[in-house]
This record gives sequence, C-alpha cells and structure tokens, in this order.
Amino acid sequence: MAKPGRPRRRISRTVMFLILCGVVVVMLFPFAFMVTTAFRSKDQYVAGSGFSLDSWQMLLSVLPVAQELWNSMIVTVGGVALILVVSTTGGFAFAKLGFKGSSMVLLAVLAGMMVPMQSIIIPVFVDISRVHLINQFPGAILVYAALGAPFATYLMTTYYRSIPTELVEASVMDGANYWQIFRKVMLPLSVPAITTVAVLQVIQIWDDLLVGLLFLQTPAVRTITVGLAVLQNGRVVNIPVLMAGSLVSAIPAIIVFLIFQRYLIQGLTMGVSK
Amino acid sequence: MTPTVTPLDGSAPDRVAPTRAPRSRLRRSQRRAGIVFALPVIVLELALLAFPIAQAVYFSFTRWDGLQSTWVGIANYQRLFGDPTFWRVALNNLILLAAVPLAIFIPLLVAYLLNEHVFGWRFFRSAYFLPTAISWVVIGMVAIRVFSVDGILNHVLQGFGLDAQTNMLGGEFTSMLAVAIVFIWSVFGTNTIIFITGMATLDREVYEAARVDGASAFTTFRKITVPMLMRFIQFAFILTLITAFTALFSLIFIMTGGGPGFGSTTLEFYVYQQGFKVGAFGYGAAIGMVLFVVVFAISLAQLRLFRSRLD
Repeated sequence: MAKPGRPRRRISRTVMFLILCGVVVVMLFPFAFMVTTAFRSKDQYVAGSGFSLDSWQMLLSVLPVAQELWNSMIVTVGGVALILVVSTTGGFAFAKLGFKGSSMVLLAVLAGMMVPMQSIIIPVFVDISRVHLINQFPGAILVYAALGAPFATYLMTTYYRSIPTELVEASVMDGANYWQIFRKVMLPLSVPAITTVAVLQVIQIWDDLLVGLLFLQTPAVRTITVGLAVLQNGRVVNIPVLMAGSLVSAIPAIIVFLIFQRYLIQGLTMGVSK
Repeated sequence: MTPTVTPLDGSAPDRVAPTRAPRSRLRRSQRRAGIVFALPVIVLELALLAFPIAQAVYFSFTRWDGLQSTWVGIANYQRLFGDPTFWRVALNNLILLAAVPLAIFIPLLVAYLLNEHVFGWRFFRSAYFLPTAISWVVIGMVAIRVFSVDGILNHVLQGFGLDAQTNMLGGEFTSMLAVAIVFIWSVFGTNTIIFITGMATLDREVYEAARVDGASAFTTFRKITVPMLMRFIQFAFILTLITAFTALFSLIFIMTGGGPGFGSTTLEFYVYQQGFKVGAFGYGAAIGMVLFVVVFAISLAQLRLFRSRLD
C-alpha cells in the first residue's frame, strides 16, 4: 500500500522544500541587502558591484557608534537587572508566600501587560521630568523596568508555582529564613526562567526606540537606535552608511538571539501553554 | 494568640493547640515575608504604571501643556470624535486589523509544512524567526529601500520584465499598505513558532490515521490541524493584533513618519504627534485613553475566549 504512494510523497516533499526555500529568500533577503550594502561605498552601491570599508569610516565620523552602543548597553543591563530583581522576588511572593489579597495584587500587576505604552507615556514623561531624570540613565531604566516587569512577573510566578511547596516548608523546618530560601533554593532552581526573562527583555530594550527618543535626548546619553533614527531623518541620505549603522545596532541582538533562541521560544509560547 | 488548653487532671495538654500556635506564627511570618518580597514590583508598578494611568485619565479631561492644566470636561473627547483626522487615523488601524488574518494564515501554512520535518527544517525555522531579534528601526531602514522608487521592489519587478515604477511610500493608502506588508513580514516568524509549538502538542497518530483513510494534505490541514490548534490561533491572533496597534511606533517613525499626510498614522503614532510634536498633552492623553480602551477590550475578549474554552 505504501509503495505506490512513495514517489508521490517524494515529489510533495520536494515541493514543500522548495516553498520553504522561497520563504527563506523573502525572510533573509533584507539581511543580505543590509550586510552587502554596508560594505560598499556610495558609488559602489549605485554601481551594484565592488566592496570597501568606506561607509564604515564615514559612519564612525557621523555617528559616535561606540558611545551609543555603550549607552544602549547601560540601559539594557540596568533595565533587565531591575526587572529580574522585582520579578523574581515578586514571583516568589505571589507563588509561594502569599499575603492577604495577594491574588488580587497579582492580577493587578498582570493587568499591566494590557496597558499600551503610548497610553501612559505622556504622564510618565511629565513625572520623570519633574524628578529631573530626563536625559539620565536611571529615568529610562525605570520606565523600561515598569513596562517589562508585568510579563516577567507572570513568567516567574508561573515558574515558581511549579516548584513543590514542600521544598519551602522543609527549608523552614530546617530553620532557614525566607531570604535564605529565596537565595539558596528558589533562585538556583529558576535559572531557566530567569534566562528566558532576561533574553526577552534584552531584545525588547535593546531594540526600543520610543523610550530612548523621549527620555534620552541629548547626544551624550543617546542609544544606538535613537542615533540611527536621527541619522535617517538627517539631511544627508547615504544608504550604505545607514546600512552599516543598522548592522552594528542589530549585531548584539542577533548574537543574543543565536545563543538563546530556545529560551526566546519558551518565553513566547508561555502565554498559550498556561 | 491561641489559648493553650491544660486539662484539669494534669495530664499532657491537648496536642492540637501547641502545634497550632507555632504554625499560625509561621503563617504570619510567611505572610509578612510575602509582603516584603512583593513590595519592589508593587512599588514600581504603582509609581510608573498605575499612577500614570490615573493621571492619563484625569489629564484627558484637561487642557495641559505639561506644567499647567485646566479642566475642560469632555471637550477633548468631543473634539476627538469630531476630528476628521482622528477618523482617518482610526481607518489606518482598521487596515492593520485587516492585515492580521494574513499574518496568521501564512505562518499557519508554513508551520504545517515545517512540521513535516523536510530536509533543513531546523535551519528554516531559525531563519524565519530571526526578525524577532531585529529592532523595528533596522527593519524600517531596510523597508524604505525596498519600497522606494529606485528600490528593491521595483528592481525585482523589472527583473520579471514588468515596467514597474511603484512609489508606495509616496501615496497615502499605499504607504499604509507598505507598513502593513512589513508588519506581516515581521510577525511571520513569531507566529510560525507559535504554531509549530502547537503542532508539536498534537498527536501524530491522528495524522497517520487520516493518511491511512486517504485524506489529502489539504483536508488534514483544514479538518485536523486548524481545529486542534484553535487555542494557539486565538493566542497568535490577539498577540498579533496588539502588536499591530501598540508596537509599530518605531517602524512608522522610521519608514514613513506617519505620512504622507496622515496616510500611515495609527492611533499610537497620533498620540506621539499630538503629545510631543504639537505639545497638546491633554488631547494626546485623550487619544491614548481611546487606544487603551481598544486594547483592553481586545485583551478581555481573549480572556473570555480562553475561559469559555476551559469550561
């Protein structure tokens, strides 16, 4: 019965393979364009042949690339660190300790996921400028953390719920206090969930534009995405230079993606499995 | 304080009481720890999410320049709903809404093919997923070069022998269309991954049985895969819709600047324009509230769908 089906099956699998190849071309072509164009001068780009590092030289002269990458890194690391602190402690509290009304409080925190950033960005901007944190890293870091914490808390709470409560109770019997239980038992057990949260948030914050655009306006604190946006809206449009800048800004996120893809998928599909 | 019962006959006290005393003390210290551990996230969200929401609601009823506000009642909302630009902008959100089914259907088909595990499927999966890591700024940068007059799209069309001179970013409707296409491209990988994850949970035997019964690939897709993946499809739909309405600011900022005219301005972009370009903070807050209500309604609909599935 299988025999007459086999050649047909091989043909259909070949067709599938070809379709998937076609999709790959559509998905990867923009990247190929970005990379090849970045290594061409303006003339070479127009001519469509030849490679050089001219555009990189020019990029470095029009954009303080190192400074802006550094700034991006500061807000990303700061934001992710703050998110990890509040989401692990919060997740532990909501999943394992509890207090009067804790489930209502958790629900309120999770409802934060439904709030679009644009709906609150005006008051947040005014508040942050009242405490003089515009153009200061802590201002942007706080905003990123507040935006990322609800989903992170959701992930951590779900994860901690899957850890047996007996583990906590046994540690209490052994005379450990809650801080020790958190540090010595819960944190080591939750490394996979912490990694998932960190990867999701690193990409989120590194790639953001709006918060950087509003809260880090001066050149000294500008992040790479904002720097690129400013360059794009500038008067001189030099496509190879813009592509070189795009490539530089994308590389850190791509590296994180390639190493931690599995965790990214996990975080993404958390929403359905629960 | 639990009273300890000491029996009159002087025998050992009731065993329940003394064990109960430390246990409730334990419970109390655990609750106290609970509050302390939950405090950081509560404070953060109160200060930078809950309080701003209250502010946004209040200031949407005022004329506000960031320093001084005057109460104007529902004037902002009256102005908003009478503002032709607002309706023009809302129409753009509808165009994005219309793009969502495509952003679901294409990944669903491709995930179905990937799930057959043809040669190189892991590579395909990673390649499709890659845009997830790329910022909207970079995507927008490349997208301009795809859709511009001397851009890639026209080159490709000319390569096929068509004498095409499309200028999608130059027209009001076509620029929104270009944004929608890039949007579909960007969420393609995410949705594909969601559907592959869903398909991995399906029982392979069902497919084998269908194949034995002589069902075609199309029939199994329509009659088995889609119904069994409904939960994942709903999830992807909501996620994609919320992305469309709240996460495209950077893409629009880079690609079109909301133009030409208001051709590609969506609600979220209109908030930014009114708030930070015009400086009408109160009016901007009112637009933000409309967006908030829309997104909240979508999220609630999702919750209801999930609930009804569970019952």
